[in-house]
Order: sequence, then C-alpha cells, then structure tokens
Amino acid sequence: GYLPANVDRRESTLKRKRKEYFAFVEQYYDSRNDENHQDTYRQIHIDIPRMSPEVLRLQPKVTEIFERILFIWAIRHPASGYVQGINDLVTPFFVVFICEYIEEEEVENFDVSSLPEEVLQNIEADSYWCMSKLLDGIQDNYTFAQPGIQKKVKMLEELISRIDEQVHRHLDQHEVKYLQFAFRWMNNLLMREVPLRCTIRLWDTYQSEPEGFSHFHLYVCAAFLVRWRKEILEEKDFQELLIFLQNLPTVHWGNEEISVLLAEAYRLKFAFADAPNHYKK
Amino acid sequence: MGSAEEDYNFVFKVVLIGESGVGKTNLLSRFTRNEFNHDSRTTIGVEFSTRTILVGDAVVKAQIWDTAGLERYRAITSAYYRGAVGALVVFDITKHQTYDVVDRWLKELYDHAEASIVVMLVGNKTDLAQAREVPMEEAKMFADNNGLLFVETSALDSTNVEQAFETILKEIFHKVQKQKQRNSQSNTVSLANESPESTAPAQTEKRPCCVAL
Repeated sequence: GYLPANVDRRESTLKRKRKEYFAFVEQYYDSRNDENHQDTYRQIHIDIPRMSPEVLRLQPKVTEIFERILFIWAIRHPASGYVQGINDLVTPFFVVFICEYIEEEEVENFDVSSLPEEVLQNIEADSYWCMSKLLDGIQDNYTFAQPGIQKKVKMLEELISRIDEQVHRHLDQHEVKYLQFAFRWMNNLLMREVPLRCTIRLWDTYQSEPEGFSHFHLYVCAAFLVRWRKEILEEKDFQELLIFLQNLPTVHWGNEEISVLLAEAYRLKFAFADAPNHYKK
Repeated sequence: MGSAEEDYNFVFKVVLIGESGVGKTNLLSRFTRNEFNHDSRTTIGVEFSTRTILVGDAVVKAQIWDTAGLERYRAITSAYYRGAVGALVVFDITKHQTYDVVDRWLKELYDHAEASIVVMLVGNKTDLAQAREVPMEEAKMFADNNGLLFVETSALDSTNVEQAFETILKEIFHKVQKQKQRNSQSNTVSLANESPESTAPAQTEKRPCCVAL
C-alpha cells in the first residue's frame, strides 16, 4: 500500500516508517490514561475482544499490539478519532503479515508471542501504516455523523434502482431501508459479511484499484446485494428480509465466490459509473 | 428465524439502548435465540431480531432493534427510534459510568420517540455481583421516580431476561388495549385525528409490517 514504486527505496522507507511509528508510540502511548484520552482508550480496550473475526484476537500479545495501533491512530486523527469498526480494519493486514512467517492454515492456533520481538514490532508498524493509508482514503466515513457512509448508502440505493429495479422496488415495498443493512457494509468494508479469507482477497483487489476502498467498493456492494436477488425476492416480509440481509449465508465462501463478485462489480462499474443516466427512470 | 407465514396479532417494535459494552446484544440473543456469546462482536449501526410470544390470547411479535452504544453512531441510530413502542435502557451494574449516563439516553429517547413509549431500566450483569458498583435500591428508586419499569438481569446465566422482555411486552399490550377501549368508548377514532405516524406506533394488527421507519 504505502511503499514507493521504486524498488530500491522500499527497504529504507520501511525502516524509516517503522522508526516513525515507534516514535509515535513513545510520544503518545503513555497519555492513554490522561483525562482527555481515557474515553478513547477505554472504548478501544473494550472493543478489541469484540472484533471480527475470532482469529488471534484473544491472545494478550495481540490485544496489546492492536490497542497500540488503534490508540495511536485515533490520537493522530482527532477529526474522526476512534470509531467502532476501525478496530476490524487492522486484522486483515495483521494476518497477512503474520502469514509471512507461518502457514496460512496455522493462523487460528498460532501463538503469536512465539515470534521474535523484532518481527512482531515490524508487523505492528507495517499494519499501522497500511491501516492509516486505507483510512486516509475513507476518512469521511468516520468523522462526526459519518457523512461518507450516509452518502455511499444513498449512492448504493441509487445504483440499485438502475441496476435491478425489481430488487429495489421489492425492498421499498417492504419498507426495508438501505441504511438498515448497508451501513455495516460501508462501515466495516464488508468484513462482517464475509469470512476473513474473503476479505483479504477482496482488499487485495481494492488496493490495486484506484480509489478501491472509497469508490470501487460501492460497485462490489451493489454486486453483492444483487447476488442475493432470488432470495430477496422470495422473502415477502419486512422482518424476514432484514434478518436475511443482516445474516447473509457466506460462511462457506472462498476465492471463487469473491472472484465472481469482483467480476460482476467490474462489469457494473464499467456499465454504470460513467453513465449516470443509464437505465434511469 | 421463524417461518415467514407466522400468524400474529401484534407487532411491537422495541429498541435496546445504553452505553457500549453493557450487554445489549447478549440480552437480545438470550431472549430471541437463548444464546450467549462471551466475545460477541461490537454492534455496527443497528441489528435486528424477532421473537413471538403469547400475551393472554394474543400472539405478539417482538421486533427488537439492537443499536450500537457508541456516540458517533447516534446521528444514524436516532432514526430507528421512530415507531418504537418500547425501550430497554441498559446499564452494567459493575460500571457506574454506564449508569450515570442513563439520563442522557433517556433524554435522547424522549427526543426521538413517542411520549407514550414504555421504558424499562435494565441493570445487566448480575452474575458479576461481587463487582457491583450500582446498588439495586438506587437504580430502583431512580426508575420509580422517572416512571420506568425496572429489572436486574444476567444475560450470561439467563436470570430475568425472559421476564424483562415479557414484562415490557405485556405492559405495551395493556396500553394498546386501553387505548383501543378508550377509542371505542368515546366513539371518535382518535387515532385518525392525529397524524398516523405519530400516534399509531408499531402496533398494527394482523399486518406483517407496520413500522414506518
């Protein structure tokens, strides 16, 4: 994400960024119990054990690392500060970096504290910068009243009304509001809707796509919703619809499903992004 | 998840509010699915669950909205108060801070919901009684003074969870019944005189969905 394109400069950039991060830690982390920061710290502290997904999160070492990453980020971004959901966004980076040292299948049972301290520090700093870079592109998702999310949910609604009018009408008829299910899709970048392995695959594409997290994500959400059109149209009741939409059956999803989803998202973006009146009523 | 064709007489919309981490999600999952999750994930935005119970002869479907307890989300969650006929204001008996802000939650609730909404104060986590910071008498008195129902629960060991929801649903039911009687006695349909969204909260009869959100 944040590395320079020039291969020769990468190693030195990494070193510099890692140093910079630990300088922040030194500078700010002791302030976590200060009066004006303790609310932030308390919230982070109670949220870490409640992150998605279950992998790794209950190990004290991991908790410690995540708390530092999130606290430093919150302190350095006072306009948004810490918002629930941001805690989830560290995990994919962290897991990917950990997987350089272990087999992917081992992640679930792996004792993180068995890695050398230096390796862990590098992972922590790299995760921090990757998360920072990601959040830079979607900061208005997390500023007061979350305008970025409000806007994107509206855009999703507008998009669906053109892509699949039948689904749109069906939701409308049963008084299902997009905000009721898609808020989380935006706030947590679909992390709560698909298994972690799928999130990692999905984000891989987002990173290689210009404005992947802020713009392309919208088309992925549209493709994701329409993917369930059959099930949605079969449900004829507000409550059942909402329960379905908030608990989509993706436990078994893997790369294949994500590839299909991404292909469909590309198709939609190609057909609709630069044609705001396409299929408009 | 029940079948879509369930038959019921009433749908009552109930919201769960209170500080982050007091156990709102687990109260809901205990009541609707009899589950408790030690590390249940933070609620993002609103999440939704239902359960149908019998009140007298009437089949009542409780439509329960679980909201995120973090400040930042409130701009979004306030819209979800609309149409609610009941609210559980939850605090954690082992964290005084979560009780101190009950006032603020009540204010927000009355700002957005119907004045007739039935409100219950819930002190959760009685299984951690050895760490109690909020005396039961104090909370009970606060509830009495503010016209709230009150109960202490433990979502973990199930104590009073069923009773809490049943009590509030019954209370709502009786309120609705009384309102109906009054309406038929006076022979004027008072519901129709006022604007439909503002009076008839989520308590429509024999209609699958009633909430104008």
